[in-house]
Amino acid sequence: MDRNFYLDLAASGLRMPIAADLVLHEQEDPEAIARDGAALGAVIIATAERFGTPLAFPLMDLRLEKEWLLSGLGVPAEQIDAYHFTSGPGAAELAALPGILDGALTPRLTASLDALRHVAANSEKVPVGMVIGPYSLATKLLADPITATYLLAYDPEDPDAQALAAALSLAVGLVERSAALQVAAGARAVIVCEPAASVQFLSPKQLEDVPELLDRAVMDNLRRVRAAIVDGGADFILHDCGELNETLLRAFATLEPVILSLGSPVDLPTVTEWIPKSVVLFGNLPSKSFYSDAAITTDGVRAASEELTARMAATGHPFILGSECDVLSVPGHEERIMAKVLALAGR
Amino acid sequence: MADFVGLQEAVINGKLPVATQLTQEMLDAGVAPGDIVNEGLIPGMLVVGDRFRNNEFYVPEVLIAARAMKGAMALVKPHLKEGDVPTLATVAIGTVQGDLHDIGKNLVAMMLEGAGFRVHDLGVDVAPEKFIEACVEQGATVVALSALLTTTMPNIARTIEALKEAGMKDQVKVIIGGAPVTQAYADEIGADGYSPDAGSCVDMLKALVSA
Repeated sequence: MDRNFYLDLAASGLRMPIAADLVLHEQEDPEAIARDGAALGAVIIATAERFGTPLAFPLMDLRLEKEWLLSGLGVPAEQIDAYHFTSGPGAAELAALPGILDGALTPRLTASLDALRHVAANSEKVPVGMVIGPYSLATKLLADPITATYLLAYDPEDPDAQALAAALSLAVGLVERSAALQVAAGARAVIVCEPAASVQFLSPKQLEDVPELLDRAVMDNLRRVRAAIVDGGADFILHDCGELNETLLRAFATLEPVILSLGSPVDLPTVTEWIPKSVVLFGNLPSKSFYSDAAITTDGVRAASEELTARMAATGHPFILGSECDVLSVPGHEERIMAKVLALAGR
Repeated sequence: MADFVGLQEAVINGKLPVATQLTQEMLDAGVAPGDIVNEGLIPGMLVVGDRFRNNEFYVPEVLIAARAMKGAMALVKPHLKEGDVPTLATVAIGTVQGDLHDIGKNLVAMMLEGAGFRVHDLGVDVAPEKFIEACVEQGATVVALSALLTTTMPNIARTIEALKEAGMKDQVKVIIGGAPVTQAYADEIGADGYSPDAGSCVDMLKALVSA
């Protein structure tokens, strides 16, 4: 789509929570729906309709590509979520990757593709795909990815740094293919979620000492994923709800996403000077705290919405008010969270 | 004379080879193992904690410092006798059931260990009964519970309930933390302590166990 589509949405004063998980958990059997493309697609459409958003965001399920890789490598299903390579990954896993990419998809990945097709066929909403960022996926494959990243900067021949390098190669291959599959299934935009690319994993000192680390660990692979999305004819949205600094934000801006979605650790009005006005900033009310009235009340959400909107208007930067991440359903707090998301959406 | 300052610097700067070399030299020279820990390694990690609290260090610098300390500790440990290193308390730490995130938990564990607590790390996705077992079998008097997700945070409360049901809640201090956790939530579910970050966790727990 034309970049102006997003700029126009921003200019219209759109408010856009990402909250498919909330609506999913209103259903009788959320887990079954997450594996049923048509049912999942219906939930995604219902979410976009409830909150009045033209973009139909999917679940932000950052487990999909890890599950695809590890099931392809023969890791038992019950071990996948917590699985980390104890040595490697290395040559054997890299050699297996082409077969995994051309092999069977997992049920959840299949459902997410079918959900995109359902949204495209049954609504006027813009189907949005979702992939985890390659660096974030690589960190999920290693027991201590932060130390490995440190070593990648200062001692790239160390076995832990080599393991991270191999994990990154696996990750980018999977994410590129996942993004391409989603575009082929009808996604007109894909949100790439890269929350590990933050100062928690890449300290300002490291980024200053070894500037090329950012390219090596994060940016080169994001460029490849972006190309897979854009070359397929879809729009590239970047999401990072981690704690970011100027170096990271300026780097993200070079990717020219149509939307840059940031978390509540970033004070949006203070970072607009680093982001070109062609990039819509999106976010970032503290939706991870919506479960708690002590942290923020429904009236507090309304006030924070007004305040952030006004501050962003003063900067003149294109902006869409939203949640800081996918708003998750918390057992026992569902109604409270929904009331706050509706308040954010101005409903 | 033992180069405790050099050892501290090696830990602070995360220089594993230097830390292990200095430690081995001290052991070979007959320096008391307890002194290596108490004068070199722990003061080094305390500086790391201070710098982390002051935003001079970030998580990677802390982890790499802890790696240097652990490498040195591995050399010292076989030589330590009971009482060489005072233990402030034994902590059973873990990420609660259903939650696989471990960065914050690991960071707290390292900070506590570096400050002189004995830490028993139960890992991630830890069922309530595992914390109870750790209290009984490891003599833990502190239970540290972490959750990163709003969806798994209720399992902090469930773990506290399980401790109550087992009649152990009054015998241990429960401290909690994680991105969605707040002081208000800690108060609501009856936790004894809450810390918004790993750096301030050490001071909070020191105050709690000395009260």
